[in-house]
Amino acid sequence: MALRFEVVGRFNRARAARLTLPHFVCQTPLFMPVGTQGTIKGLTNNQLEDIGCQIILGNTYHLALRPGADLIDELGGLHKLMNWKRALLTDSGGFQMVSLLHLADITEKGVTFQSPVDGKRMLLTPEESIQIQNKIGADIIMALDDVVKTTTIGPRVEEAMYRTLRWIDRCLAAHQKPAVQNLFGIVQGGLDPVLRDICLRGLVERNLPGYAIGGLSGGEDKDSFWRVVAQCTAALPEDKPRYVMGVGYPLDIVVCSALGADMYDCVYPTRTARFGTALIPEGVLKLKHKVMASDERPIDPTCSCMVCKNYTRAYIHCLVTKDAMGSQLLSYHNLSYMMRLSRDLHTSIVEGRFPQFVQGFLRAQFPKGDVPKWVCNAMEVAGIDISACCAPLTSSQN
Amino acid sequence: MNWKRALLTDSGGFQMVSLLHLADITEKGVTFQSPVDGKRMLLTPEESIQIQNKIGADIIMALDDVVKTTTIGPRVEEAMYRTLRWIDRCLAAHQKPAVQNLFGIVQGGLDPVLRDICLRGLVERNLPGYAIGGLSGGEDKDSFWRVVAQCTAALPEDKPRYVMGVGYPLDIVVCSALGADMYDCVYPTRTARFGTALIPEGVLKLKHKVMASDERPIDPTCSCMVCKNYTRAYIHCLVTKDAMGSQLLSYHNLSYMMRLSRDLHTSIVEGRFPQFVQGFLRAQFPKGDVPKWVCNAMEVAGIDISACCAPLTSSQN
Repeated sequence: MALRFEVVGRFNRARAARLTLPHFVCQTPLFMPVGTQGTIKGLTNNQLEDIGCQIILGNTYHLALRPGADLIDELGGLHKLMNWKRALLTDSGGFQMVSLLHLADITEKGVTFQSPVDGKRMLLTPEESIQIQNKIGADIIMALDDVVKTTTIGPRVEEAMYRTLRWIDRCLAAHQKPAVQNLFGIVQGGLDPVLRDICLRGLVERNLPGYAIGGLSGGEDKDSFWRVVAQCTAALPEDKPRYVMGVGYPLDIVVCSALGADMYDCVYPTRTARFGTALIPEGVLKLKHKVMASDERPIDPTCSCMVCKNYTRAYIHCLVTKDAMGSQLLSYHNLSYMMRLSRDLHTSIVEGRFPQFVQGFLRAQFPKGDVPKWVCNAMEVAGIDISACCAPLTSSQN
Repeated sequence: MNWKRALLTDSGGFQMVSLLHLADITEKGVTFQSPVDGKRMLLTPEESIQIQNKIGADIIMALDDVVKTTTIGPRVEEAMYRTLRWIDRCLAAHQKPAVQNLFGIVQGGLDPVLRDICLRGLVERNLPGYAIGGLSGGEDKDSFWRVVAQCTAALPEDKPRYVMGVGYPLDIVVCSALGADMYDCVYPTRTARFGTALIPEGVLKLKHKVMASDERPIDPTCSCMVCKNYTRAYIHCLVTKDAMGSQLLSYHNLSYMMRLSRDLHTSIVEGRFPQFVQGFLRAQFPKGDVPKWVCNAMEVAGIDISACCAPLTSSQN
């Protein structure tokens, strides 16, 4: 194991922790920007450090294509190539293959796919995924799992869950650098609590450095989503980090943190930036909207990021969808927002005011008190009283 | 923009002529087809100045009748005289002379007689500054430097001289030696988008395979954020595939140009301009194959670069 996880604050299930990784000491809950091929769109290393980014996620699939795992290895690993001094996490490559490649197919051996470079049939096995990730050298690496869409039903879900368990053993056997790279297992099982339970117990038995909750954020209804997260966080060890993959929306991050998760990743903040949308306490701000053309306020008056300190909505409105600088400034702001959210979650838990933080967050997003029912249900299980944020029920609601 | 330093706006004329297919120049102004709705529109000297007054830049440019340097015949003369008539219309339309400096633009193609007429006409009007226009359009380098030299010789000593559309670092060094002060060009950022970095030796093509494992910075003598943080190998991965590649190269290339500007200023102030020029040429032409046009220009500029030039052999020249 190459990490230390120390809980430094709690509120019921929610925890604030210090996660010590080989390259950096992180504070959780935290959000990881997705760097795909070793770069976060438009932001330099200095800027990422300025906004408080602790870990970046790299996609193994994209990195293996360009610049290639062997080259990264020759050049001393991805940290050195990128000159990123903080932590890195790589995923297994499996998800991109399944979601990006038309002819991807999963068998017991691994994921077979058609190479996007020359059309040849190729196979990504658990062993090879780990080998590639060993070469890339990230602080946290992910097991190759058999992931199915959350909306899948039937025997495929069970097959995928059991295969994930068989593959974790192959990943563990192939892992060459356990002293400097932490291999996280990924809990699968779709929306079925019985399957999830089997997978949870199987992974916990293997005493991994950390655990991810996979197979979510794929179109399932929110009610199922939070219940799976709640089941997993209840069953995973207290003293190890829990990473909900592919999450996401700020609201989802707050709910999952209340339920006991620690780490998140999603392309949403940067992707939505490219569509001209900024993340703000009230929700979102669409910079493309005509009213922005003469709005001389910053995106978010409460935000102290470089963009909000230097540029107006009017200026960014001119740029969005017409000049790459628009996306860039919005990406910068949106990631700042996510880093600030991460810090606020950690600090409010440490300082014993987590419920107040959650209430403030919900009040800003739902000023009319129309907090979605799934959030209310999740907060009830999390033991956080949000009744003050919810408008009284009328017969038209519910 | 929240830009706290200076701004300069051009007249709009050049883009219209170079970007719009149906642009046409008459005595009134530049007629063109609006790219928004296809309607016929007219940009007059008065309107160009009005727009520039609204934008509010420190320096604004007169609307000139600019022709391609490779143009020959009566069109060149017509354009030069029209430029003189239009400067008066620009001056009359200018609402903010106390806060915005209207520069005139010397035209006349490659013809010294026409250039001379234009120079005298503009100098008479006692403008805050002067631009040398109509160059960097495909003319041979020998004609280029001679026009710059003629203009800098005739323009007032105590006013800034701006060579529009220049350019390559070498051209900037030569024009500065001949007495020019200001330059603009898309080259540094445009070439960045093609994966090319500006370095003392000339250019570095980051797309080249050899860059894939080159762990040095773009330029070990450069102290910009890119050279301090990233290797050629990393940028090689990015160029033409990730916008970050262009971004980092643009940052470096503009740093290079700012450093060049500072070096020109400081070397002149510190009385070591010839040494700077020699060092610059030696880095760019290590074999001593300094182009003849540069040698000729430096002779007129009174800068001895013989130490940088390889001895002439019968194969050269």
